[in-house]
Amino acid sequence: MAATSLPAAQPRALRAVRKFASQYGLIAVLLIMPVAFGIHDLRSEGDLSRLGNNLVDGLSNGSIWALVAIGYTLVYGIVELINFAHGEVFMLGSFVSAGFFGTIGLTAATGVPGLVAGLVLTLLVSMIALGVLNVMIERVAYRPLRNAPKLAPLITAVGFSFILQNVGLLWRGGSQQGIEDLIDSQKELVNFVGLSITHGDMLAIAVTIPLVLAMTAFISRSRLGKAMRATAQDPDAARLMGINVDTTISATFLLGGMLAGAAGLIYALYQTTIWYFQGFTAGLIAFTAAVMGGIGNIRGAVLGGLIIGGIQQISDNRIGSEWTPAIVFAYLVLIMVFKPSGLLGEQTREAG
Amino acid sequence: MSKADGSLLEARGVTKRFGGLTAVSDVSFSIPRKAIVSLIGPNGAGKTTFFNILTGLYKPTDGRVSFDGANITAGRPDKIMALGVARTFQNIRLFGTMSAVENVMVGQHSRMKAGLVGSILRPPRVGKEEREARAKAADMLSYVGLDPALHDQLATNLAYGDQRRVEIARALASDPKLLLLDEPTAGMNPQESAALTRFMERLRDELGLSILLIEHDMKVVMGVSEHVTVLDHGEKISEGEAHTVRHDPLVVEAYLGKQEAERQRQESGES
Amino acid sequence: MTAATAAAGSSSRRGLDLPRGARIGLAVAAILAGALLPLFVDGGGGFIDDATVALAYVVMALGLNIIVGFAGLLDLGYVAFFAIGAYTMGYFGSLFHITANHGKGIHILVSGPAANLPGIHLNFLIIIVLAIVATTIAGMVIGLPTLRLRGDYIAIVTLAFGEIVQRIAINGDEIKAFGTQLTAGRQGITPVDKIDLPFLAPFTSLELRPWYWVAFALVLIALFVNFRLRDSRLGRAWIALREDEVAAVSMGVPLVKTKLLAYGTGAAFGGVSGAFLGSYLNTVNADQFQFSFSIFVLAMIILGGLGSIWGVVVGAVVLSFINNRLIPDVLNDVPAKIGLNFDLTELSFGIFGFLLVIMMVLRPEGLIPERRRQIELQSGIEDLAVAEESVYEAKVP
Repeated sequence: MAATSLPAAQPRALRAVRKFASQYGLIAVLLIMPVAFGIHDLRSEGDLSRLGNNLVDGLSNGSIWALVAIGYTLVYGIVELINFAHGEVFMLGSFVSAGFFGTIGLTAATGVPGLVAGLVLTLLVSMIALGVLNVMIERVAYRPLRNAPKLAPLITAVGFSFILQNVGLLWRGGSQQGIEDLIDSQKELVNFVGLSITHGDMLAIAVTIPLVLAMTAFISRSRLGKAMRATAQDPDAARLMGINVDTTISATFLLGGMLAGAAGLIYALYQTTIWYFQGFTAGLIAFTAAVMGGIGNIRGAVLGGLIIGGIQQISDNRIGSEWTPAIVFAYLVLIMVFKPSGLLGEQTREAG
Repeated sequence: MSKADGSLLEARGVTKRFGGLTAVSDVSFSIPRKAIVSLIGPNGAGKTTFFNILTGLYKPTDGRVSFDGANITAGRPDKIMALGVARTFQNIRLFGTMSAVENVMVGQHSRMKAGLVGSILRPPRVGKEEREARAKAADMLSYVGLDPALHDQLATNLAYGDQRRVEIARALASDPKLLLLDEPTAGMNPQESAALTRFMERLRDELGLSILLIEHDMKVVMGVSEHVTVLDHGEKISEGEAHTVRHDPLVVEAYLGKQEAERQRQESGES
Repeated sequence: MTAATAAAGSSSRRGLDLPRGARIGLAVAAILAGALLPLFVDGGGGFIDDATVALAYVVMALGLNIIVGFAGLLDLGYVAFFAIGAYTMGYFGSLFHITANHGKGIHILVSGPAANLPGIHLNFLIIIVLAIVATTIAGMVIGLPTLRLRGDYIAIVTLAFGEIVQRIAINGDEIKAFGTQLTAGRQGITPVDKIDLPFLAPFTSLELRPWYWVAFALVLIALFVNFRLRDSRLGRAWIALREDEVAAVSMGVPLVKTKLLAYGTGAAFGGVSGAFLGSYLNTVNADQFQFSFSIFVLAMIILGGLGSIWGVVVGAVVLSFINNRLIPDVLNDVPAKIGLNFDLTELSFGIFGFLLVIMMVLRPEGLIPERRRQIELQSGIEDLAVAEESVYEAKVP
């Protein structure tokens, strides 16, 4: 009920169809593309390795989206606002990472131990820098407008996203920039039943899994995590319990920004190109993922990210990457129509 | 559900579940024409939920509601309203940035006809409709006792009592047959409550309305209701004439607890 | 005129706190000034060019004002209606469908050079009607999924639609339908027929005054429609839905129909302006239809004052001026003068974003606020407790 403002009143048959559609329709729609292409593959090539590779790449891409989506979902869960500037935070994560490892002199020729040390350092730098940026955005764009109608913080968020885009534009220019392929991203690391897992795939998975596990553990076990959940459910009650709501909200933004910074690094190493405009599309795709999984729900954000990654890869590979955004956005619209609460259900103030 | 039995509104076996919580459980209820009836019960008993089911804001999990012979179960709120059911809200829900007159004119939305093209071109028919609606709104506000100087005042600037008045005028604007009032005397002093009680009687006698009241003020309930229904934890635990219900031990227990019910029973046993 | 009819039906507490006579006088003066303006400037110069484009933007802003300002539906994808209007012009007023009618072309009520060219060429007024129909339908289609969503979700869904439309525009040169491409992608449909009105010679690109007056006429019509709707049954229904959806529906306002009417009506304005701009700019290409344009139009109505009709006009003119003249021409070399290595146009995004932030933090009700919105925003941003107190405090009779 949380995503809707009024319940509907419709004839019984239509309601039953809608209920069925909302529970299984989304899953069915998500499966259309892989199934259709799978069948096509089996007919033309006789095996599913191409589809399999699509899905493997989809998982790696998807893990990037998952990290960004968690940022959206955490923030929405606690302040019920879509942080429009989050995509740009991710973009700057790529920029900061690329800038940093360029500055400390990492190149493709750097030896493995040096590379690993350098990248870990870059990861930390990126996470901290973008975490702080996200906190600043909250302070400037959201906090003064906490009691205003929802239009106001949405507009300031869009404004911030434009400002940050411009920063990216001035920093590295208007066209896509190639950066050093530090980890030899496309080189195949292992081949498993015909599925090619590259260095890039490995990196994505190796960074994302620990981060997500750490995040989930933090939220469910630490005091701050409990404070975040309490504030998300009922800020007034949380305040009465002695929780500093302002600090908790800032901490949420910090975590979201850190994850976006990490995602930015992975993206930069995986794609080896960065672009000031990458945040806009990425932001929308990641938001779609967050909504698909169920806004406010971290596991949902991860699931949504992986699914969207898969859809995106299949689309890039089979239909053409110029159509992929349209397809992902069409999925967003479908989710909103049939199941706005997402696959795993919302966890926001209203849904409780 | 026939018209012949004379009830204006008839609810049978209405149940509403929200997930695991049963807010209303198998409540049957009827409202005669030209009558004032009350729905009472402790907080959380499901009264407002029941109201919301009657007006179409909630779909009942089970049960049927019919109004003036027509089945309105799970109907659209605006359609139910058009049939003649109007309401006020427990926390006043006026359109704060519209004037009192404009609020009441919104109440007439279902009785007016101007559409998109008519609103733009404003032929004489539409102009007339607007003028008449505005005049009627002013009449309604005067009928409920709002100072004419305040008619064009923004609703959010009005005093609490005046806001209540405007809300009632807005509900009356569509010439309803049934008026649902959700705690209309909340925040009023005894004189104001008495005035409202008399006003409700006027509505019933002059305009032929039926009124369903959710109330906590027992004086109002006893003073004006022909019939009282009591809910507790979503179930109907008692109904009947006002003074019968008042002394029903189940009702006393629901409101005041077992000890008080026991004490009263002992007292009446002694006397 | 429009201002007079507007003032007649409304209470005297909107917008600027001027007495009614002064407001009407001011409106009439502004309209006269606008109408006579072209007579005092160079007919082919930059000023009138900017002014004509500004007027087209005013029409769009007035359209978005219906959706966001009146009905409170947060539409972040208005660019879709601009695109559909422009493509309507491109389809029916150019060489795009060059194979139509076996290469001889279809011509309805056109004269001048277009009358002998292949492709479909319809009279501009017919195209306007088609654009209105197309965008009204599109508006309702886009609005339909948003009907039961809450505010920020509406924003995202409309944004998604805007993006989908842009993607189709960009990639439309790959899609084949009825023998031709769907769109001409980034290269665009060009040239586009000039406006050709009955009894007048077809417009040219050298003499811009007739274009200006056509745009001005569109603005007047848009103003008229806005004022009429605001003080009508439908306008009240929109404001009621915006304020409190549950209460509005309980008072008999039909939710779906009323919201769809807002989307459709607002969209139509975008279509009309889009068709005009398609002809005026002599091209319809996918790069014109970016998300930033939707925000640009939204910024106009926020700057001017959400829901405030004259405010929106002012906001559109100001932002158009800032975007088309102030930044690229007047202030462009400011950074160079203080020793920085770029033009101001490279900062236009950032400046724009900064403007949005400043507006919402400092003066969210806009330059010429509509009284309602001022109350909504200020009581929200200031201490909420104070606002509640004034509502519940019983005033002594």
